[in-house]
Amino acid sequence: MLLTELLRMRVVEVDGTEVGRVVDARFRIDAQGGARLVGLIVSPHTRAPFLGYERAALDEPLVLDRFLRWLHRGSFLVDWPDVRRLDDDGLHLREGYERRPSTLP
Amino acid sequence: MIPRPHPEPGRLVDAEFQVLDRQVLDRNGEPVVTVDDVEITDIPRGVELDPDADAPVIENLLSGSAVLGTRLFGGRPPESRWQRIRWSHVTEIGTAVELNTTADRLDASWTERWVRNHLIGRIPGGRHAPD
Repeated sequence: MLLTELLRMRVVEVDGTEVGRVVDARFRIDAQGGARLVGLIVSPHTRAPFLGYERAALDEPLVLDRFLRWLHRGSFLVDWPDVRRLDDDGLHLREGYERRPSTLP
Repeated sequence: MIPRPHPEPGRLVDAEFQVLDRQVLDRNGEPVVTVDDVEITDIPRGVELDPDADAPVIENLLSGSAVLGTRLFGGRPPESRWQRIRWSHVTEIGTAVELNTTADRLDASWTERWVRNHLIGRIPGGRHAPD
């Protein structure tokens, strides 16, 4: 499937509460060079990408940094195993899923 | 310096930010295409996903007007129109995506080869570099 079919998709909890939209997909490079999905970055307030401000070290220009961090407040990374189902109406999360920091280490 | 066989193991890559729309360079540093989309392992729709199953992987980088057009204007391009570059060709992800192969070996650059062979090559002087 296409990565862009996942991006901007609604993300909902078990009870149907919408918690945001997928704004990026995080992969980890394995020992053979493959890229395996770690999880999805979910933003509750916007569909727009982070423009690189998910990198903790990037904070200039200050005005843009503050604006994008405000726009993406509450964003989180959800691990792929915490995704229960993919439907046409969105991604459904498992009960008790964990919201992890979305910043790149 | 010997180029890496593939990107650094353990590295985390945010696909939209670090892969989509990046220039793709072949092993000689020649621009090939830009990444218009990424093909990942199919995720079945409407069924419970097994949390212990292997997570999807990136299979191919995609390029071409069909992929880009539907990404911008909606819809889904037929798979026959996807121009693929296998992820196993990727050696580095930086300001550009670098490959371990040459552009001539990739389906993604067929339009450029076609124009070179059928149009530019038929113009007198079109088969050699300028003197």
